[in-house]
Amino acid sequence: MNESSKLIKTAHLLLEISSLLMVSGANTNRVNLSIDRFATALNFKASSLISHKTIIMTLLDEETNKSCTRVQNIPPYLINFSIISAISKASWHALTENWTLEQIFDEIEKIKKIKRYPRIVVLIAVSLAGAGFCNIFKGDYLNMLVAFVSTFLGLFIFQQTHQLKYNLYIRIFLGSLIASATASLGILNNIGTHPQAALATSILFLVPGVALINSFTDLLDNNILNGVVRFTTGLMTVLAMAIGLFLAMYLFQLN
Amino acid sequence: MLEIILKLIEVSFWSGIAAVGFGILFNVPRSAIITVFALGFGAGFIKFALMHFGAHVALGSLLAALFVGIISIPLAHRIHQPPVVFSIPPVIPMIPGYFAYETVLSIMNFIFIETNTNKRLALIDAIFTNSFSMVFVLISLTVGVALPMLLLKKNSVKKIDI
Repeated sequence: MNESSKLIKTAHLLLEISSLLMVSGANTNRVNLSIDRFATALNFKASSLISHKTIIMTLLDEETNKSCTRVQNIPPYLINFSIISAISKASWHALTENWTLEQIFDEIEKIKKIKRYPRIVVLIAVSLAGAGFCNIFKGDYLNMLVAFVSTFLGLFIFQQTHQLKYNLYIRIFLGSLIASATASLGILNNIGTHPQAALATSILFLVPGVALINSFTDLLDNNILNGVVRFTTGLMTVLAMAIGLFLAMYLFQLN
Repeated sequence: MLEIILKLIEVSFWSGIAAVGFGILFNVPRSAIITVFALGFGAGFIKFALMHFGAHVALGSLLAALFVGIISIPLAHRIHQPPVVFSIPPVIPMIPGYFAYETVLSIMNFIFIETNTNKRLALIDAIFTNSFSMVFVLISLTVGVALPMLLLKKNSVKKIDI
């Protein structure tokens, strides 16, 4: 393999890694760190501009002074901490064991195939989280049951519309509407001592926690633009949730 | 007293369950799930104990998040995972989603429904109280989780000697 084709191949690999990290929910600092580690392992110097939808990277070979700039679009976000963890480990191995380009490439292919938890496990775990929230907000066990069922249905719709490739905010709106409408039935039938708690917590599974936390860590790291973008995404999510909730409360006359 | 402690443990247990639920939604590695539960439990216990003694929710969240941030440094060394994997899920149950949607709900009531002046004033109060509580809790959570690393001036846990 000649010098320049190696340079281009490396740039593509590093862009692939950074886009995987962004999609999986890493903050900007972590993406930069990982790129640096891989680039150092391969004896290159990488500088990149990371934005929410696109990454631009220039890779410099310091020995030959050749450089290569490539742009990559980032696919829709899907948080996956297993990928972040695996890439972080791979970056350390690459640095300490001096991995070659092929080794890193194979490892990334392996990481891309990491499976998610089965859908039913996710549904039950998140619904239990919803029930847990309800307990935190002073609901009794009947309210928790309502919160469990509402979260389950809401998340089910959220996942179903994902397969139909709906717009993210429409999906959040629909999930929130279904979940809060189910919980509203609990209020109408007066189930448990605090039916309001079930309504308030039924939509919390949609809370943009990772977006908001990453937004503030980006702001702290002086990645102001990305921080603001993430905060705005978080706000849009909250707005979509609130509209769904508002509509459900309006339909059931709960104001 | 015993009743209060039992209630605290019950609430903390459900905080832990909520943390694990989000962990699974975010696909954390299997080996980190018990850690996520323990951190969620600990954070919930600290937050609700402080709030029981009258601390503001932002202070409670700050100390609970600090706990998560500090504990995750030695844990990252022990179970060989980057700290984000198990430091974000335990703080998600503390994200002020409740304040956030109370804010938006008050705004919508203010604009679309309420016409009575006194009630509109109460809604303005609700909008400000809830939105600023939300911002302060959010800052507390992120600063709490990030502060231990910022103070050690390291950007990777691997470089911290323990």
